[in-house]
Amino acid sequence: MGFSINAGLLDAMVLSIVQRNDTYGYEITQYLRKAVDISESTLYPVLRRLQKGEMLETYDKEYMGRNRRYYKLTSQGETSLEEYREEWRNHKKKIDSILMDEGAEENEQA
Amino acid sequence: MNKLEFLTRLRNCLEKGGMNSDDINDALTYYEEVFLDAGFGKEEETAASMGSPEDVAVNILRESGIQISGPEAFAPQPPPAPAPMPQYQNPYPYQGAPVQQKSGNWGLKIFLGVITFPIWLPVLIVVVSVLFAFIVAAISIVFAFIATGIGLILGGIAALFEVPSIGLMLLGAGLIFTGIVLLICKPVINRAIPAMGRGIKGVCNWICGLFRKGGKVNG
Repeated sequence: MGFSINAGLLDAMVLSIVQRNDTYGYEITQYLRKAVDISESTLYPVLRRLQKGEMLETYDKEYMGRNRRYYKLTSQGETSLEEYREEWRNHKKKIDSILMDEGAEENEQA
Repeated sequence: MNKLEFLTRLRNCLEKGGMNSDDINDALTYYEEVFLDAGFGKEEETAASMGSPEDVAVNILRESGIQISGPEAFAPQPPPAPAPMPQYQNPYPYQGAPVQQKSGNWGLKIFLGVITFPIWLPVLIVVVSVLFAFIVAAISIVFAFIATGIGLILGGIAALFEVPSIGLMLLGAGLIFTGIVLLICKPVINRAIPAMGRGIKGVCNWICGLFRKGGKVNG
Protein backbone atom coordinates (compact mmCIF):
# COMPACT_ATOMS: atom_id res chain seq x y z
CA MET A 1 0.00 0.00 0.00
CA GLY A 2 1.29 3.35 -0.95
CA PHE A 3 -0.64 5.16 1.77
CA SER A 4 0.14 4.86 5.38
CA ILE A 5 -2.58 3.90 7.76
CA ASN A 6 -2.71 5.78 10.98
CA ALA A 7 -3.64 4.44 14.36
CA GLY A 8 -7.17 5.87 14.32
CA LEU A 9 -7.97 4.22 11.04
CA LEU A 10 -6.58 0.92 12.22
CA ASP A 11 -8.70 1.14 15.36
CA ALA A 12 -11.78 1.84 13.28
CA MET A 13 -11.15 -1.08 10.95
CA VAL A 14 -10.59 -3.47 13.81
CA LEU A 15 -13.84 -2.34 15.47
CA SER A 16 -15.65 -2.89 12.21
CA ILE A 17 -14.26 -6.39 11.77
CA VAL A 18 -15.21 -7.34 15.31
CA GLN A 19 -18.67 -5.85 14.85
CA ARG A 20 -19.48 -8.36 12.11
CA ASN A 21 -18.85 -11.22 14.50
CA ASP A 22 -16.71 -11.99 17.52
CA THR A 23 -13.33 -13.08 16.36
CA TYR A 24 -9.75 -13.70 17.41
CA GLY A 25 -6.45 -11.98 16.78
CA TYR A 26 -5.14 -14.05 13.95
CA GLU A 27 -8.37 -13.78 11.98
CA ILE A 28 -8.54 -10.03 12.47
CA THR A 29 -5.06 -9.72 11.02
CA GLN A 30 -6.03 -11.83 8.03
CA TYR A 31 -8.99 -9.53 7.36
CA LEU A 32 -6.90 -6.41 7.71
CA ARG A 33 -4.35 -7.78 5.30
CA LYS A 34 -6.89 -7.58 2.53
CA ALA A 35 -6.53 -3.82 2.76
CA VAL A 36 -3.37 -3.01 4.66
CA ASP A 37 0.06 -4.45 4.91
CA ILE A 38 0.32 -5.23 8.59
CA SER A 39 1.85 -8.06 10.49
CA GLU A 40 0.43 -10.08 13.33
CA SER A 41 2.61 -8.16 15.73
CA THR A 42 1.11 -4.80 14.80
CA LEU A 43 -2.33 -5.81 15.89
CA TYR A 44 -1.63 -6.59 19.50
CA PRO A 45 -1.02 -3.00 20.63
CA VAL A 46 -4.16 -1.97 18.76
CA LEU A 47 -6.28 -4.60 20.48
CA ARG A 48 -4.74 -3.68 23.79
CA ARG A 49 -5.55 -0.03 23.26
CA LEU A 50 -9.14 -0.78 22.30
CA GLN A 51 -9.50 -3.05 25.29
CA LYS A 52 -8.21 -0.39 27.63
CA GLY A 53 -10.56 2.13 26.05
CA GLU A 54 -13.35 -0.35 26.82
CA MET A 55 -14.35 -0.60 23.20
CA LEU A 56 -13.53 -4.27 23.06
CA GLU A 57 -13.88 -6.99 25.61
CA THR A 58 -12.50 -10.48 25.52
CA TYR A 59 -13.56 -13.94 26.42
CA ASP A 60 -11.84 -17.27 26.05
CA LYS A 61 -13.31 -20.07 24.04
CA GLU A 62 -11.93 -23.54 23.73
CA TYR A 63 -10.57 -24.46 20.39
CA MET A 64 -8.77 -27.74 19.72
CA GLY A 65 -7.77 -28.28 23.29
CA ARG A 66 -6.57 -24.76 23.97
CA ASN A 67 -8.10 -21.42 24.72
CA ARG A 68 -8.55 -18.88 22.04
CA ARG A 69 -9.15 -15.28 23.00
CA TYR A 70 -12.18 -13.82 21.26
CA TYR A 71 -12.84 -10.12 20.96
CA LYS A 72 -16.29 -8.66 21.29
CA LEU A 73 -17.52 -5.16 20.63
CA THR A 74 -18.85 -3.26 23.63
CA SER A 75 -21.66 -0.72 23.37
CA GLN A 76 -19.03 1.95 23.76
CA GLY A 77 -17.14 0.39 20.90
CA GLU A 78 -20.31 0.41 18.85
CA THR A 79 -20.78 4.15 19.43
CA SER A 80 -17.16 4.79 18.73
CA LEU A 81 -17.33 2.83 15.48
CA GLU A 82 -20.25 4.94 14.29
CA GLU A 83 -18.27 8.09 15.05
CA TYR A 84 -15.30 6.72 13.18
CA ARG A 85 -17.48 5.90 10.19
CA GLU A 86 -18.94 9.37 10.14
CA GLU A 87 -15.49 10.84 10.45
CA TRP A 88 -14.24 8.65 7.65
CA ARG A 89 -17.04 9.74 5.36
CA ASN A 90 -16.10 13.38 5.92
CA HIS A 91 -12.44 12.64 5.62
CA LYS A 92 -12.97 10.68 2.42
CA LYS A 93 -15.10 13.45 0.96
CA LYS A 94 -12.43 16.05 1.67
CA ILE A 95 -9.68 13.90 0.25
CA ASP A 96 -11.76 13.02 -2.78
CA SER A 97 -12.59 16.64 -3.36
CA ILE A 98 -8.95 17.23 -3.99
CA LEU A 99 -7.63 13.92 -5.19
CA MET A 100 -10.55 12.99 -7.44
CA ASP A 101 -11.27 16.59 -8.26
CA GLU A 102 -14.82 16.04 -7.06
CA GLY A 103 -15.11 18.96 -4.70
CA ALA A 104 -13.88 21.32 -7.41
CA GLU A 105 -16.74 20.28 -9.66
CA GLU A 106 -19.16 20.77 -6.80
CA ASN A 107 -17.68 24.15 -6.13
CA GLU A 108 -17.94 25.09 -9.74
CA GLN A 109 -21.54 23.94 -9.88
CA ALA A 110 -22.42 25.75 -6.69
CA MET B 1 13.73 -18.33 15.03
CA ASN B 2 11.19 -20.68 16.46
CA LYS B 3 8.21 -19.92 18.61
CA LEU B 4 9.97 -20.57 21.90
CA GLU B 5 12.89 -18.35 21.05
CA PHE B 6 10.64 -15.55 19.87
CA LEU B 7 8.47 -15.69 22.96
CA THR B 8 11.44 -15.93 25.30
CA ARG B 9 13.12 -12.91 23.79
CA LEU B 10 9.86 -11.00 23.81
CA ARG B 11 9.35 -11.80 27.47
CA ASN B 12 12.87 -10.68 28.32
CA CYS B 13 12.38 -7.39 26.55
CA LEU B 14 9.04 -6.71 28.18
CA GLU B 15 10.51 -7.53 31.57
CA LYS B 16 13.37 -5.16 30.90
CA GLY B 17 10.89 -2.51 29.92
CA GLY B 18 9.37 -2.84 33.37
CA MET B 19 5.95 -4.04 32.30
CA ASN B 20 3.90 -5.73 34.99
CA SER B 21 3.64 -9.48 34.84
CA ASP B 22 -0.08 -9.58 34.06
CA ASP B 23 0.41 -7.46 30.97
CA ILE B 24 3.43 -9.50 29.94
CA ASN B 25 1.45 -12.71 30.24
CA ASP B 26 -1.41 -11.21 28.30
CA ALA B 27 0.92 -10.21 25.48
CA LEU B 28 2.67 -13.57 25.43
CA THR B 29 -0.67 -15.36 25.35
CA TYR B 30 -1.59 -13.33 22.31
CA TYR B 31 1.65 -13.97 20.47
CA GLU B 32 1.62 -17.64 21.32
CA GLU B 33 -1.89 -17.84 19.96
CA VAL B 34 -0.74 -16.22 16.75
CA PHE B 35 1.87 -18.94 16.36
CA LEU B 36 -0.68 -21.64 17.04
CA ASP B 37 -3.25 -20.16 14.67
CA ALA B 38 -0.65 -19.70 11.95
CA GLY B 39 -0.04 -23.43 12.02
CA PHE B 40 2.34 -25.79 13.63
CA GLY B 41 4.81 -26.05 10.77
CA LYS B 42 5.02 -22.33 10.18
CA GLU B 43 6.85 -21.14 13.27
CA GLU B 44 9.86 -19.76 11.43
CA GLU B 45 7.70 -18.06 8.85
CA THR B 46 5.43 -16.52 11.46
CA ALA B 47 8.33 -15.28 13.54
CA ALA B 48 9.90 -13.73 10.46
CA SER B 49 6.67 -11.96 9.51
CA MET B 50 6.35 -10.43 12.95
CA GLY B 51 9.78 -8.89 12.91
CA SER B 52 12.27 -8.97 15.72
CA PRO B 53 10.94 -9.57 19.22
CA GLU B 54 12.75 -6.40 20.27
CA ASP B 55 10.76 -4.30 17.80
CA VAL B 56 7.55 -5.98 18.85
CA ALA B 57 8.39 -5.29 22.48
CA VAL B 58 9.01 -1.61 21.78
CA ASN B 59 5.57 -1.28 20.22
CA ILE B 60 3.87 -3.06 23.08
CA LEU B 61 5.71 -1.01 25.67
CA ARG B 62 4.91 2.24 23.92
CA GLU B 63 1.26 1.30 23.76
CA SER B 64 1.20 0.65 27.47
CA GLY B 65 2.72 4.05 28.13
CA ILE B 66 6.31 2.99 28.66
CA GLN B 67 8.60 5.11 26.58
CA ILE B 68 11.49 3.27 25.09
CA SER B 69 13.91 4.89 22.72
CA GLY B 70 13.82 1.90 20.39
CA PRO B 71 14.94 -1.67 20.08
CA GLU B 72 18.46 -0.38 20.84
CA ALA B 73 17.22 0.11 24.37
CA PHE B 74 17.56 -3.62 24.70
CA ALA B 75 21.12 -3.34 23.37
CA PRO B 76 22.61 -5.40 26.15
CA GLN B 77 19.76 -7.72 25.36
CA PRO B 78 20.70 -9.32 22.02
CA PRO B 79 23.97 -10.84 23.24
CA PRO B 80 22.41 -12.37 26.35
CA ALA B 81 19.23 -13.03 24.40
CA PRO B 82 20.40 -16.36 23.01
CA ALA B 83 21.73 -17.27 26.43
CA PRO B 84 18.34 -17.64 28.11
CA MET B 85 17.55 -20.29 25.56
CA PRO B 86 20.09 -22.93 26.53
CA GLN B 87 19.53 -21.94 30.11
CA TYR B 88 15.85 -22.46 29.65
CA GLN B 89 16.36 -25.87 28.08
CA ASN B 90 18.82 -27.33 30.56
CA PRO B 91 19.35 -25.17 33.59
CA TYR B 92 21.41 -27.75 35.48
CA PRO B 93 24.82 -27.36 33.88
CA TYR B 94 24.65 -23.65 34.61
CA GLN B 95 23.86 -23.66 38.27
CA GLY B 96 25.80 -25.85 40.64
CA ALA B 97 25.65 -28.97 38.56
CA PRO B 98 27.22 -31.32 41.16
CA VAL B 99 24.85 -30.25 43.91
CA GLN B 100 21.84 -30.44 41.68
CA GLN B 101 22.75 -33.83 40.28
CA LYS B 102 23.66 -35.32 43.61
CA SER B 103 20.37 -34.48 45.20
CA GLY B 104 18.57 -35.40 42.01
CA ASN B 105 20.26 -38.80 41.86
CA TRP B 106 19.79 -39.49 45.52
CA GLY B 107 16.20 -38.34 45.44
CA LEU B 108 15.57 -40.45 42.39
CA LYS B 109 17.05 -43.49 44.04
CA ILE B 110 14.90 -43.09 47.11
CA PHE B 111 11.92 -42.39 44.94
CA LEU B 112 12.53 -45.49 42.84
CA GLY B 113 13.16 -47.51 45.97
CA VAL B 114 9.87 -46.36 47.41
CA ILE B 115 7.73 -46.82 44.34
CA THR B 116 9.18 -50.23 43.51
CA PHE B 117 8.66 -51.56 47.03
CA PRO B 118 5.75 -53.78 45.91
CA ILE B 119 8.36 -55.64 43.85
CA TRP B 120 11.39 -55.78 46.10
CA LEU B 121 9.63 -56.14 49.41
CA PRO B 122 8.04 -59.54 48.64
CA VAL B 123 11.30 -60.74 47.07
CA LEU B 124 13.24 -59.69 50.14
CA ILE B 125 10.70 -61.37 52.40
CA VAL B 126 10.83 -64.57 50.36
CA VAL B 127 14.65 -64.72 50.34
CA VAL B 128 14.92 -64.09 54.07
CA SER B 129 12.09 -66.53 54.82
CA VAL B 130 13.63 -69.31 52.74
CA LEU B 131 17.03 -68.92 54.40
CA PHE B 132 15.38 -68.83 57.79
CA ALA B 133 13.37 -71.94 56.91
CA PHE B 134 16.55 -73.77 55.91
CA ILE B 135 18.22 -72.96 59.20
CA VAL B 136 15.16 -73.97 61.18
CA ALA B 137 14.81 -77.17 59.16
CA ALA B 138 18.49 -78.06 59.66
CA ILE B 139 18.26 -77.38 63.38
CA SER B 140 15.05 -79.40 63.60
CA ILE B 141 16.53 -82.37 61.79
CA VAL B 142 19.61 -82.34 63.97
CA PHE B 143 17.47 -81.88 67.04
CA ALA B 144 15.21 -84.73 65.91
CA PHE B 145 18.14 -87.08 65.44
CA ILE B 146 19.63 -86.15 68.77
CA ALA B 147 16.22 -86.50 70.41
CA THR B 148 15.82 -89.91 68.83
CA GLY B 149 19.25 -90.95 70.09
CA ILE B 150 18.58 -89.65 73.57
CA GLY B 151 15.12 -91.23 73.48
CA LEU B 152 16.63 -94.58 72.59
CA ILE B 153 19.19 -94.24 75.35
CA LEU B 154 16.55 -93.28 77.95
CA GLY B 155 14.20 -96.01 76.62
CA GLY B 156 17.03 -98.50 76.83
CA ILE B 157 17.83 -97.57 80.42
CA ALA B 158 14.12 -97.85 81.32
CA ALA B 159 13.79 -101.21 79.52
CA LEU B 160 17.00 -102.50 81.09
CA PHE B 161 15.21 -103.24 84.36
CA GLU B 162 12.30 -105.11 82.78
CA VAL B 163 13.76 -106.83 79.76
CA PRO B 164 17.50 -106.43 80.15
CA SER B 165 18.36 -107.79 76.69
CA ILE B 166 16.06 -105.39 74.84
CA GLY B 167 17.06 -102.58 77.17
CA LEU B 168 20.72 -103.12 76.44
CA MET B 169 20.03 -103.31 72.74
CA LEU B 170 18.03 -100.04 72.79
CA LEU B 171 20.66 -98.36 74.94
CA GLY B 172 23.40 -99.48 72.60
CA ALA B 173 21.44 -98.45 69.52
CA GLY B 174 20.73 -95.03 71.09
CA LEU B 175 24.40 -94.46 71.92
CA ILE B 176 25.48 -95.54 68.44
CA PHE B 177 22.82 -93.42 66.81
CA THR B 178 23.66 -90.32 68.85
CA GLY B 179 27.32 -90.83 68.23
CA ILE B 180 26.84 -91.17 64.48
CA VAL B 181 24.57 -88.13 64.38
CA LEU B 182 27.01 -85.99 66.31
CA LEU B 183 29.89 -87.30 64.24
CA ILE B 184 28.20 -86.55 60.97
CA CYS B 185 26.54 -83.36 62.03
CA LYS B 186 29.33 -81.71 63.90
CA PRO B 187 31.30 -80.35 60.98
CA VAL B 188 28.12 -79.71 59.03
CA ILE B 189 26.54 -77.84 61.91
CA ASN B 190 29.72 -75.97 62.58
CA ARG B 191 29.82 -74.72 59.03
CA ALA B 192 26.21 -74.62 57.97
CA ILE B 193 24.79 -72.43 60.69
CA PRO B 194 27.36 -69.63 60.47
CA ALA B 195 27.20 -69.93 56.68
CA MET B 196 23.45 -69.40 56.69
CA GLY B 197 23.86 -66.55 59.12
CA ARG B 198 26.41 -65.01 56.84
CA GLY B 199 24.04 -65.56 53.95
CA ILE B 200 21.25 -63.55 55.57
CA LYS B 201 23.72 -60.91 56.64
CA GLY B 202 25.09 -60.79 53.13
CA VAL B 203 21.68 -60.26 51.58
CA CYS B 204 20.91 -57.49 54.06
CA ASN B 205 24.28 -55.85 53.45
CA TRP B 206 23.77 -56.07 49.71
CA ILE B 207 20.41 -54.30 49.96
CA CYS B 208 21.82 -51.68 52.31
CA GLY B 209 24.80 -51.35 50.01
CA LEU B 210 22.55 -50.41 47.10
CA PHE B 211 21.65 -47.28 48.96
CA ARG B 212 24.92 -46.66 50.73
CA LYS B 213 26.86 -47.01 47.50
CA GLY B 214 24.66 -44.43 45.82
CA GLY B 215 25.33 -42.03 48.64
CA LYS B 216 29.08 -42.65 48.56
CA VAL B 217 29.42 -42.20 44.82
CA ASN B 218 27.65 -38.90 44.90
CA GLY B 219 28.91 -37.68 48.25
